[in-house]
Amino acid sequence: MKRRRLLLLGAAIGAAAVVAVVLIVVVSGGSSESGASTTSADTTGSTPSSSLAGIPQHGATLGNPNAPATLVVYEDPQCPFCRQWNVDTLPTVLRDYVRPGKINLEYRGVVIIGPNSVKGLRAIYAAAPQNKLWNMVDALYAQQGAENSGWITNDVIRSAAQQAGANPDQILARMNTPAVTAQLTRAAKQAAADQVRGTPTFVVEHPPALSQQLALTSLEPAEFDAALSAALQQ
Amino acid sequence: MTLRRAIAAAALIGGAIAAYLTIVHYSHLSPICTTGGCEKVQQSRYAEAAGIPVAVLGLFAYAAVLVTACIRGLTAAVVGATIALAGVAFSGYLLWAQLARIHAICQWCVGNDIVIAVVAVLCVARVLTEAD
Repeated sequence: MKRRRLLLLGAAIGAAAVVAVVLIVVVSGGSSESGASTTSADTTGSTPSSSLAGIPQHGATLGNPNAPATLVVYEDPQCPFCRQWNVDTLPTVLRDYVRPGKINLEYRGVVIIGPNSVKGLRAIYAAAPQNKLWNMVDALYAQQGAENSGWITNDVIRSAAQQAGANPDQILARMNTPAVTAQLTRAAKQAAADQVRGTPTFVVEHPPALSQQLALTSLEPAEFDAALSAALQQ
Repeated sequence: MTLRRAIAAAALIGGAIAAYLTIVHYSHLSPICTTGGCEKVQQSRYAEAAGIPVAVLGLFAYAAVLVTACIRGLTAAVVGATIALAGVAFSGYLLWAQLARIHAICQWCVGNDIVIAVVAVLCVARVLTEAD
């Protein structure tokens, strides 16, 4: 009896091994390049979009400050999906909603990925007095490296600031001031209030309606447009 | 009955992890991560098998183990053990990939590794003790 059970167990192990080998062959049978490097490899060398050109900025706000609605954008500079949204979808949002004055955007930087994000966020908020915050966000995404690899260095910040058309010395000097710390603290509190669990997260503020977090199934332009349009009609 | 209940409970925990990663995958959102490498792992080519997210495979595997735990008999026990052992082997490969190829660790994957190992041990014990 016990022998039969051991035989059955042996058969189970054999079958499991076959299934596992098939899965491993399927997973490893794709491209020979390391998937791990895609984040940095895909992004290195890309340039900030020019879609921000001509749109007014006031600190963290992009677009008409008196627009009837605000799309709050919670992002982390190390977050690959945030970068993807900025590259693929932001230009469409700017064209269809921000430039016509339907909404403005408000950037709120939060630390999701790791400690290096703090340095990036400090640089981003330090660009706000120059009204180059959104350009700085864009420029940092253009140089985005692997998460927590320490890619956000002073040299990268300086280079991004130049690309953003901002004064690098002023940004580096302002980064660690109490004013920037206060902005990070405020954004973190707002993120907690808006129940931000990851990035990117989008919240539509359309008074007198209550603020609502966009429920997204995809960050693709068409689907994002549909979700934003629906939220603005409420 | 106790073993079957333990298997079912562990499969529910594993299924919850797989469900969370499946939702994160399809919503293109960042997973909650304290290890810092979750997105890197999720975006690597090891995250999919023939276009199917491994989280989805895990979800189906845990569901199948749960079903076998609800059925009495040696046949169900052997089927459950086969699925769990395949899961352990595949999870082991993915853990190796995280360490040696991706150079990042996803806490959710490690959590799944622990759960599937527990499920496999329980399933093997069930094969050895389940009534015919």
